Amino acid sequence: MNFLSFIVSGLGIGAVYALASVGLVLLYRTTGVLNFAFGAAGAVGAFVAFEVDALGFGLLLGCVLGILASTVVSSLYGRFIAPVLAYRDTVTRSIGTLGYAMVLLGCIGMIWGELPRRIQFPTDKMFITLFEVRLTYTRLAALVLAVLVVVVLSGVISRTRLGLNMRALANNRDHSAMLGVPVLKVEFFAWLIIGIFAGMCGILMANLVGLKATALTFLVVPAIAAAIMSGMESLPRTAAAGMFLGVAEAVLSAFPAIAPYRSAAPFLIALAAVALMPFLSFAPKRSPNRT
Amino acid sequence: MNMYLKLCAAAFAGTFMLSGAAFAADPMCGLHNGTPATGEPIVIGAITGQTGPDDFSAATKSANAYFDCVNANGGINGRPVKYEIGDDQWNPEVAAQLAAKLVKDEGAVAMAGSASFVECSANADLYKAEGIVSIAGVGVPRECFSASNYAATNAGPRVSTIAAAEYAGNVLGAKSFVCIGPNIPNVGPWACDGVKIWAESKGFTSESILVDPASLDAASVVLQAAGYAPDAIVLSLPKGLMLPVLTAAEEQGMNETIKFVSAASGYDLTVPATLGAAWDGKFWVNMEFNALGSDGADNQNWLAVMDAFAPADAPRDTFSQAGYLAARIVTEAMLTIDPAKLSREAVTTALGEVKAFKSDIFCADWYYGAGAPRQNANHATRMSVAQGGEWKAVSECAPSGDAELADILAFEAANGIGK
Repeated sequence: MNFLSFIVSGLGIGAVYALASVGLVLLYRTTGVLNFAFGAAGAVGAFVAFEVDALGFGLLLGCVLGILASTVVSSLYGRFIAPVLAYRDTVTRSIGTLGYAMVLLGCIGMIWGELPRRIQFPTDKMFITLFEVRLTYTRLAALVLAVLVVVVLSGVISRTRLGLNMRALANNRDHSAMLGVPVLKVEFFAWLIIGIFAGMCGILMANLVGLKATALTFLVVPAIAAAIMSGMESLPRTAAAGMFLGVAEAVLSAFPAIAPYRSAAPFLIALAAVALMPFLSFAPKRSPNRT
Repeated sequence: MNMYLKLCAAAFAGTFMLSGAAFAADPMCGLHNGTPATGEPIVIGAITGQTGPDDFSAATKSANAYFDCVNANGGINGRPVKYEIGDDQWNPEVAAQLAAKLVKDEGAVAMAGSASFVECSANADLYKAEGIVSIAGVGVPRECFSASNYAATNAGPRVSTIAAAEYAGNVLGAKSFVCIGPNIPNVGPWACDGVKIWAESKGFTSESILVDPASLDAASVVLQAAGYAPDAIVLSLPKGLMLPVLTAAEEQGMNETIKFVSAASGYDLTVPATLGAAWDGKFWVNMEFNALGSDGADNQNWLAVMDAFAPADAPRDTFSQAGYLAARIVTEAMLTIDPAKLSREAVTTALGEVKAFKSDIFCADWYYGAGAPRQNANHATRMSVAQGGEWKAVSECAPSGDAELADILAFEAANGIGK
């Protein structure tokens, strides 16, 4: 067993971190909210997918309805709660989502409890072997999905009216409103998109690490670390940071002295990156202050 | 208000000798006389971790059902049990506050059926200082098995993990092991160190991997374990952490090449079906108590008590068995005391006389070691294997090879217990 095998094993989780962090950055850039409820919304989708499959309606329909459930849960917050907090400071807006995450977590606990469950895809049984490690088609699909999402989303932001409006909102909410940007509508779309992301990530994580509400809810922790590493700006750089953190966490397993503490790695790496950023020529530029 | 059973008066039997079918229809509790107790209540306390990372309240729910059954059947020689349960929320400070309230303010004469991850370290000294004994349902950290006045009915994660390793070595032919446990002081390291000591005493090898419970990446854990090329991987993980590890192992095809055994934390009725057919005959778990569906007389009585006195949705799991046993032990000890003289001191003394408590849920007679510096009476366990979506028992009761039990075995030998 060598480092390469751990790198391969970290790709799947890294892809999910990438997806999650891209979703977080997109929402932050549009609304100024760091969404702590991302993982909990994903967990709702994963449990719905599991339940639909368990009821005999099939995994495909389960995944569709699961992603829909996450989207609804996220959109409801974006439509009814986020606007109420829109003119509060960034911390207040973000803490609002933390409260929402706790509510969702409690609801999941009441409905589904803490019994161990898992979502299995047919692709779990199909694999290629790289460096003595099986890389399942599910993990490969997660990788492809992460790349695809970054490409499509970057295109949407740079080439569409919605993307233009999002970029305008990211710079200045009031000025955008005066210039005719439909602020509430654009923000709602951002919440809707992050809901779709949450659903995809939740279902993938339920397959890769098991269906457990608390674990899925705290998926947001490494995703935030990846977002911080990218300076909450570039989507491709955020995705790369997420992938890097997933792989780094896996590679640390090869060091027995550090391995028991490796879940701290994303934040230690993010802290180091933030500390070193001012000295790096390729570091992201500081974004203008939102008002 | 609980169900009131109108049963024919029957003499109290110290041990259960009736058939399982008879118990299923007619739960046996306390005096079993069908007369509700009406005298001055006797306070029994319990502390459970209900709200927090996991819900341990199954033990107190079954103990509560048993005490309700006792109260409906003559109580403790006419006096009802007032069972007071506190939720420590997995917070040691809350656990300490609850214990102080129950022991000092409420005047509890004993604690019964507690199941908490945090209360042993928080309250063991208080129980000793106040002269009160806690017959706990389930103990997990080492502190629960290191105190004089805290006696859990279960075997504990160390004994259970070593028993799983012993089965892998003695029956499955494994000679090299990797133990995977949570990186929680006095839990994972304690259990996996035990496996290492046992393995080395047999000329085998064992490595330990401690997993951060917050880590989401189980694939790397199994790769790390496979790197040692073990014959068997011994899991000492809560089921929420265990499942991702087994899933990742299956993904890498390790279920075909490595034996996977687990401590009793894996003995949950939903686990075999959740894992699926890929693990049929390939995943063995330890059982601290008899199988949940056992037709043993006392096991059937536990189920009958639950059916008659517990809510329909109360779990019927190993924690529930443990709470029932703890409540039975305390009840039967109190029934030996003159009700007019029933006090904390008298109950503590009566519990000290429990030298051979019999139940088919245990592998051997259970006892409370009065005067012993620590308690671990349950140290013989069974094994089962995942098969066709359920657990199938594969071994008879076997004593533990844990070297740390030397003082317990010496106490038993000196006091003629377990002969």
